[in-house]
Amino acid sequence: MDYFAVLGIQRRPAVAESALQRAYNQKSKLLHPDRVEGSDFSSINEAFQVVSNPAARIQHLLKLEFGEAGERQIGAELGGLFGTVVEVLRRADQELNPLSGQSSPLLLALALQSLAPLRDALDDAEKQIAERQSELQSRIAAVDQIWFQDRAQCRKPLAQIAVDLTFVQKWAAQVRERKVRLEELL
Amino acid sequence: MNDIVGIDLGTTNSLIGVMDSGFPVLIADSEGSRLTPSVVHFPEKGNPIIGVPARRMLILEPERTVYSVKRLIGRRPGESEKEDLPFAVKSVDGRMMVDVRGNRLTPEQVSSLVLRKLKADAEQSLARPIDRAVITVPAYFNDLQRQATKRAGELAGFSVERIINEPTAAALAYGLNRLRDRSKIAVYDLGGGTFDVSILELNDGVFRVLSTNGNTRLGGDDIDRELVRLLKERIIGRHPDLRPVVEERIFLARLREIAHAAKLRLSREDIVTIEIPFLTGTSSFSYSMTRQELEAVARPIIRRTRSHCIRSLDDAKLAAAKLDEVILVGGVTRMPSVRQFVAEVFQRLPNITQDPDEAVAVGATIQAGVLSGQVQNIVLLDVTPLSLGIETFGGLMNVIIPRNSTIPCKAGEMFTNAVRNQTSMQITVLQGERELAKDNWELGKFEVAFEPVPKGVARVGVQFEIDADGILHVLARDTKSGREQTVELSSAVDVADEAVEKMIAESLDNAFADMSERLWTEMVLKSNELLPAVRSALTLVGDQIDPDEIKKIAKLVAEVEAALEAHSPPRLKKANTELDEGTQHLATLLIDRAMAEAAKRKSTS
Repeated sequence: MDYFAVLGIQRRPAVAESALQRAYNQKSKLLHPDRVEGSDFSSINEAFQVVSNPAARIQHLLKLEFGEAGERQIGAELGGLFGTVVEVLRRADQELNPLSGQSSPLLLALALQSLAPLRDALDDAEKQIAERQSELQSRIAAVDQIWFQDRAQCRKPLAQIAVDLTFVQKWAAQVRERKVRLEELL
Repeated sequence: MNDIVGIDLGTTNSLIGVMDSGFPVLIADSEGSRLTPSVVHFPEKGNPIIGVPARRMLILEPERTVYSVKRLIGRRPGESEKEDLPFAVKSVDGRMMVDVRGNRLTPEQVSSLVLRKLKADAEQSLARPIDRAVITVPAYFNDLQRQATKRAGELAGFSVERIINEPTAAALAYGLNRLRDRSKIAVYDLGGGTFDVSILELNDGVFRVLSTNGNTRLGGDDIDRELVRLLKERIIGRHPDLRPVVEERIFLARLREIAHAAKLRLSREDIVTIEIPFLTGTSSFSYSMTRQELEAVARPIIRRTRSHCIRSLDDAKLAAAKLDEVILVGGVTRMPSVRQFVAEVFQRLPNITQDPDEAVAVGATIQAGVLSGQVQNIVLLDVTPLSLGIETFGGLMNVIIPRNSTIPCKAGEMFTNAVRNQTSMQITVLQGERELAKDNWELGKFEVAFEPVPKGVARVGVQFEIDADGILHVLARDTKSGREQTVELSSAVDVADEAVEKMIAESLDNAFADMSERLWTEMVLKSNELLPAVRSALTLVGDQIDPDEIKKIAKLVAEVEAALEAHSPPRLKKANTELDEGTQHLATLLIDRAMAEAAKRKSTS
């Protein structure tokens, strides 16, 4: 299924959020089961979910255009960030896991007094991830520039962006999850 | 007639409304109230009594008067801790049933009686029959609870056109006059028995839910229960001989009414006097309860909503500062301390323009109007609150549809025979966010049938579909024959087993507490952690508590030390627990300190 077509938007690497929103809202008003009984609105939801997620969108695009899913190897320049993320996640789990089962309010409250450095480390990792994400976004924008002139030339860079973004998005979610757990304890 | 009514089937009260020349209008019941108590009284003889007159019977015949049945609907025995309800709740064939003097009813049957009254009174008022309805449920209701609610509607004679989520309905009520707006809002809905928080985006008439979170066992009832406990303590403190009287069903029902009324008044007044005339036959009981006292009791309960708010913001990928409004719904949000709490969590003053009791029913009515075509230009995009998955080999949960997916949605899964000539495979369907299958709700099981062929050749595709009501449908399709059929989930009766095992384990713990070396070691470990922790805590925040409390804590510490010395497991267990409870205030101060520090860091960074 071509999710771009389902939503009625142009098939290309970069999709403006506002245009996507507009397309989805329009389809919703026309085809939501509240309006039309028995309509297949699931596909529209699925399409919106994929196209609004950059990594999933690029992967979908690669499949549609070239019949492939993307690189397998993560970009070498992400190695450093990978190390940072693994380290901060390990540390967060080490410090947070014993607290989740803590039944004594006092012991829990006392442990909270020393979690500030962990919070800093998570914030820092999150910042680095966000920088990578925006850098990957600009690479998408650059590929998008030549998309209509030379599609074949877009194939390789997109394949790399797809795998890199998939990882970076996963890390972002993992770090955020630890931040939420930390926040919850307060 | 093409009318569809909107119904808020609440834990405490229920409401019904209808669109009238383009406006949602709530309909008063035959007693003249728009809020019909969700209470059903079963008299010795004659038909059930519902609403205000039934509510009066709560204190007269508590064992014949059923309330808060929403806490039981769609639940299975063993799933919940013991409910302290004055009427009997029994487990029959793996289902929860209300037992009124031998007369057994399912929770949905009880709810259907409430719905029947709403229907009859509305028909009387409108002078025409109504048989189609939109009914609201807590956003965090699972599939079983939604199905049971729908069944309640059908039992009452309605065709249930849509099940919608309460916070979403409240958002509709809020947004009806702001259709041109583009904004992001949070709805904080703390009702009698359930808590929900939803984050929505409003954009040109499209109400899109970004995330939802909650707890279907958290609400104003919990505050009432704690108040009853406090009043009991006060009464026994003054009249120790009254201990047996205070535990009587009728008296407890009376106390619950008194506590509830006091709670309501303390939202407006700073102090209320609680009078229980002729408590002892000769003397009366009188007690002045302050708002601070209520707030101290309510605080830990309200605090439990915090992590749900944090999680829903995170799932919506939004910082609290990015919200345009926070809407309050549910009677409990009238409490000033709840409003203050919400303001802290979301970093803004909440919007209190919506009537906290009526907004959900108004929203349900608007949605009814959308479905009947009377309301144009509004469309609601809601989500499924819980992840849907299946149990994998090894007892893990494999997520098929993640939480907060916009509904309706579907996802396919392919099953293959693992051995030659395997004829079937059993699939267990789960809902929840936990990693281990057993920690999630089990929606049921179904069988996939294979043709007898070599290993890996038989393939059956199964489609999981969550409809616009948030209810699951499963379809199986044989890839070879192309046959597609609806799969019925068989309900899992054995869910109670785990709870039973846990109970047995706990009773064993108690029985052998004195002998078990392991338990003793654990207790000593805890004491050894606790004692220095108390000292550190006192150095950090000791200046913020009064000398009396320090003395009390010192006494508790001394008791732990004495129990360690005496090598007495039961005594140490009790002493540890009491020290935990006695240092609750210290812990709160420490948390405040950590939060203040975190806020300071945030503002400097």
